[in-house]
Amino acid sequence: MNTPMLEITDIRKSYQVGPTEVKVLKGINLTVEAGELLAVIGPSGSGKSTLMNMLGLLEKPDSGAYTIEGSKVFYDDDRVLSTLRNRKIGFVFQQYQLLPRLSALENVGVPLIYRGLGGDAIKKKGMEYLAKVDVENRAHHRPAEMSGGQQQRVAIARALVGSPALVLADEPTGALDTKTGQEIMDLFRRLNRDEGITMIVITHNPGLAEQCKRSVKIIDGMIYPA
Amino acid sequence: MRTLLLVNLLEASRSLWASKQRSLLALIGIVIGIGSVIGMVSIGSIVQNEVLRQFRDMGVDIMSIRKGYDGDAKTELRFNDIMMLKEETRSVYEVGPYLTGNMEYTLGRNKFNMELMGVTESFFDLNKLRIRMGRSISDLDQHRYFCVVGSEVVEFLQKSGNANILGTRIAINGRAYEVIGVLDKAAEGGLRPYGINRAVLVPLSTALRSFENPDISTVMVRVNSQVPVEQVKNDIQDYFRRKVRGLKVEINSAEELIQRMKDQMKMFALLLAAIGSISLIVGGIGVMNVMLISVSERRSEIGLRRALGAQQRDIQSQFLIESVILCLAGGIIGISLGIGVSYIFAYFSKWQFIMSYYSIILGFGVSTAVGLFCGFYPARTAARLDPIKALRS
Repeated sequence: MNTPMLEITDIRKSYQVGPTEVKVLKGINLTVEAGELLAVIGPSGSGKSTLMNMLGLLEKPDSGAYTIEGSKVFYDDDRVLSTLRNRKIGFVFQQYQLLPRLSALENVGVPLIYRGLGGDAIKKKGMEYLAKVDVENRAHHRPAEMSGGQQQRVAIARALVGSPALVLADEPTGALDTKTGQEIMDLFRRLNRDEGITMIVITHNPGLAEQCKRSVKIIDGMIYPA
Repeated sequence: MRTLLLVNLLEASRSLWASKQRSLLALIGIVIGIGSVIGMVSIGSIVQNEVLRQFRDMGVDIMSIRKGYDGDAKTELRFNDIMMLKEETRSVYEVGPYLTGNMEYTLGRNKFNMELMGVTESFFDLNKLRIRMGRSISDLDQHRYFCVVGSEVVEFLQKSGNANILGTRIAINGRAYEVIGVLDKAAEGGLRPYGINRAVLVPLSTALRSFENPDISTVMVRVNSQVPVEQVKNDIQDYFRRKVRGLKVEINSAEELIQRMKDQMKMFALLLAAIGSISLIVGGIGVMNVMLISVSERRSEIGLRRALGAQQRDIQSQFLIESVILCLAGGIIGISLGIGVSYIFAYFSKWQFIMSYYSIILGFGVSTAVGLFCGFYPARTAARLDPIKALRS
């Protein structure tokens, strides 16, 4: 077997809430292979969002190690972390998080701006990925002029545009109706199958989790195979 | 890297435009600050240009001598002493003593406030006065009741129904003075503390005899410009001290007056800089406030950008650029305002308008500096936000 896409070992995280220390992650071990489509399920407050932030390098664990594509993550340099986020990770959020003043195409291009790409290259790539998620006809619309499903597709194009090693989706269907949610899930499966993109989908919907190749469950800060 | 800057510029303009009301309010302080500095610097240079022009008109070899206040009060400048000055000192080429007074001249229902002057023949040459009609006063006109009138006096006389100016008689202190000459409109100011255009000039000898309290107040002299100013002044001082015990004279040279004027301008500029900086500080606080509001309103955008790979310095430069653009917009409006005001000033005072490029560069520089300075703290706050907390808000 090759090097795993990512590997976390005994990750712990706690927050100080008033006088009490709340342990959110209590020693999590997880290995994700390249090309996997993994569902992380669990009730709200179980720590799955914290895990996602950890995997997305937005949060620093209190202890434990994180390895992406064989190299260990060091948390003390903002520039290195930003570059890793930019190159290795694509985020999909529950509330899409598109910038309201930018068109769909411009939104998709944001990660490439921070990579220092030129305007034309950004536009070309952006159109390519909008087409991949079937919303190229919405390229010059603002988010407010699009439906929820279309917005989430634009957000997915933004997550994919930098060809990241890993796409992290946090409740990607949470704000959508069942039918649209299923369409988004189908898109994920297609991208995983056809493009071989490694995906981690965080959800509390067991029906969605069943459609993934593998599921893990987080309960009270501990991880279990589902 | 260039794309990033370009995108930032575009983004900044868009986000400022999105909250244009607030941006506009923040700008007012900057506009007033930059506008007042530019306006006043510009007006200052117009005034300076005008003053220097007045002196240059006269020539820098002219000096003016008056009785000093620190000498013996009973002493006076005597006509004969003055006339001998150019014979007995080598540095003085020409002397032009004169006395002045004001008089309200009434003709029918019209009133005119005119300047009454007693002058010698040399006065016309020293002042570079040009005769439009008739002739100037000659030293042969001693004790005659002749006069030469300035251009505004002519207008007044014509308005009062005198078609032929030459030969008209003007009544002064119960005497009729015949107009023998008319002057062209002449430049004023500089070493000429009198209004030549509204003056009636009579022979000095006549004035000494028939005016009330005649007292030769001032002597204009043309000096040898090769001799250093200080030495000329010493020569003149010595001369009068020799002639009249206890008489002290005060001598002003054009060069010194120009220097003094320049010093005053420097003070003026400093004062303006102070006023301008105060309004800029106030304006800058407004900009900082707007930027802080903008940062807190866009926390989730900042969080998102961080998640998508923006480094702290990317976020910092995004907000810095926004603040600089805001200030530059204010600066441009302020510069136009200042130049407009100084143009109007020049137009109404009929002076030559000069565009001060130095002040425009200054305006751009200062507004950029204010933008950087006042944007720094909000931008740093934005850059240091915890991405997770920002994203959740």
